[in-house]
Amino acid sequence: MISLQSYLIISAVVFILGILTILYKKNAVGILMGVELILNSVNLNFLAFSKYIDAHINGQLVAIFIIILAASEAAVALAIILNLYRDRANIDVTQVDQMKN
Amino acid sequence: MVAFYIVLLFFLIGMLIVGITLVISRILQSRKSYPEKYIPYECGELPQGEAWIQFNNRFYIIALIFLIFDVEILFMFPWAVVFDTFGMLAFIEMLIFVVILLVGLAYVWAKGDLEWVKPKPKLAHLAKKKGA
Amino acid sequence: MSNLNSLQYFIPELFLTVSILVIIIVDLFLKKEKKVVSAYLTALALLVAMALSFQQYNFSPASLFEGMVVLDSFAIFFKILAAFSTLIIVFISLPTFRDKAEYYVLLLVVTLGMFIMVQVNDLLMILLSMEMVGVISYVLAGYNKKNLKSNEASLKYLLFGAASTGVMAFGFSYIYGMTGHTNLYLIQQALLNNNPHPLAFFIAVVLILAGLGYKIAMVPFHFWVPDVYEGSPTPITAFFSVGPKAVGVALFIRFLTTIVAHPASTGLYDFTQNIPIKLPELLAVLAVLTMTLGNLSALQQKNIKRLLGYSAIAHVGYMLMALVVFNGNAIVAVMFYAIVYLFMNFGAFWIVETITPKLKSERIADYTGLGYRAPFTAVALAVFLFSLTGIPPTAGFIGKVYLFSAVIKEQWYLLAVLGVLNSVVSLYYYAYVIKVMFLNQPENNDLIEVPLYNKVLTWVLLIPTLVMGLYWNPVITFTENSLGLFFGK
Repeated sequence: MISLQSYLIISAVVFILGILTILYKKNAVGILMGVELILNSVNLNFLAFSKYIDAHINGQLVAIFIIILAASEAAVALAIILNLYRDRANIDVTQVDQMKN
Repeated sequence: MVAFYIVLLFFLIGMLIVGITLVISRILQSRKSYPEKYIPYECGELPQGEAWIQFNNRFYIIALIFLIFDVEILFMFPWAVVFDTFGMLAFIEMLIFVVILLVGLAYVWAKGDLEWVKPKPKLAHLAKKKGA
Repeated sequence: MSNLNSLQYFIPELFLTVSILVIIIVDLFLKKEKKVVSAYLTALALLVAMALSFQQYNFSPASLFEGMVVLDSFAIFFKILAAFSTLIIVFISLPTFRDKAEYYVLLLVVTLGMFIMVQVNDLLMILLSMEMVGVISYVLAGYNKKNLKSNEASLKYLLFGAASTGVMAFGFSYIYGMTGHTNLYLIQQALLNNNPHPLAFFIAVVLILAGLGYKIAMVPFHFWVPDVYEGSPTPITAFFSVGPKAVGVALFIRFLTTIVAHPASTGLYDFTQNIPIKLPELLAVLAVLTMTLGNLSALQQKNIKRLLGYSAIAHVGYMLMALVVFNGNAIVAVMFYAIVYLFMNFGAFWIVETITPKLKSERIADYTGLGYRAPFTAVALAVFLFSLTGIPPTAGFIGKVYLFSAVIKEQWYLLAVLGVLNSVVSLYYYAYVIKVMFLNQPENNDLIEVPLYNKVLTWVLLIPTLVMGLYWNPVITFTENSLGLFFGK
């Protein structure tokens, strides 16, 4: 029997990896991958809690919706990044600095 | 629980052996470098252009549209499970959901984003790459 | 309430959904020169949605869809506010986006998201509604596809937004783990009964604050604001600064009154914390930081849209300041301020939208002598800016009086003093714009022709700003009557 703690530790690790990815990646698509990592850690948490704590299956439902959220967010994000790429042939976020003050 | 310690032990020993081999080869290897060493294929075949080539934008657009209908299925699994209990009501609910998505598809279609126009080959661009 | 029975209480949202689909289909059959019809259809749909929401004041508060959303007068108030703000945005956008049907449909989708956002009663619904507003907002920010600045605004909004929503969802997962429920009311009850560890609860609340704070541009989650406000098309900037923000504050109040606190026995709208975690103190610090940082950064701005962006951050600070005490008075004050802020901020942005094409510049320096070149527009902008500062005969003053009095009544004197000091700082940069417009002589004296349409819309925004400064009784009564929060599954 795997304990709840194991799930929580893994999801916390994935969450922190996601945050680090967001902070250190310069590529916009890389940052999106970090966001996906975070959302997956959230999913893992919800599923684990749903199994161990909740009498119902609310957590599993939330997980399904988070998958959909992640997909729709990724779709819009890719469209926006694609549009940016068309204009400047680069998706390095450190070079996206038209407005500085 | 004990079984997991064996796995852990196995894992650690595995890491150790791999590490030792890496260190040994590091000590023994001779370090000579010449330009051919940095070519992806060391068999006389000269690579042309880069491995990171650009795909046509249309692939992304089709992929984006596909994505929506891909994840739509996710809602249908739980729905299919409870279909027997709710019957007609569940059917109508899902019908409304699918119709809303279909309106989106129709919109995309009418706007012409599903048309697959063949892109013009960029000959000048390719020729430049070869020369370089 | 069961799903089928809930439908009759969900008519405004259903109507919006249908009109979104209808407008998108109608657009396909319209000829190029008749595309503007879809803008009018959008305005009509928003009016009807407003009327339908207004009718809902008759219903007694209830929770709908098995506790997923609640319908109470607090939600109805913000639904009307959201629909009204989008309606004004439709008119503000008409000169720029005359024949862009997609644009208006996206605005309607955001409105639908905002409608749901103010009546959430479940962690899942908070996530879904925030994403619904957020994802469409990213697209709207980048609506000028060929404009580099617009693209950049969109990308920044997207990356910050996606990250903070993810962090917030992580906080939700811990709340769910502590209580075993996703329904806000059940979470409140479970927190009261089980008393989880304060530190774990505090961490979860801080993670959630990241997401909510991002939505309302609270320091330290405000980095996106200046760039997004400068880069987005002006009507969209105006929209971001009022609609989604007011709704975000409503969501914040919902979060404070359910997950963080519960109604106390002392009064109907007094709240005590579920688990003592010193959240008021944390919020007070954040509020002061938000307004101070917003005001100080605004001091050195040269671009008018950027200046208004920083001032928008400062205004969130004022609203947060009142939320520190979160009792009935403070919530009414924030609701009233949202109405006032709608008129004065839309007014300021509308003038910017009117003037920018004529001057071909958004720099404050180019506003030199505007008082001579376009007297009416300049005077109107001055009134809106005075109102944003909070100078007496304008609505902004009354709004601030309510905010500050709510804080002072609960003896947070230091907080109130810092708030007043901040207002003084803000006077400097607002007055600077006015000084440039009226006291500096322009280089060329050509009169700027302002179209009649622009003048009419300016009056529409100007009159409430002035009238509410002198006669605000009906509005505050309406607001007080709208204060009805429903707690239940």
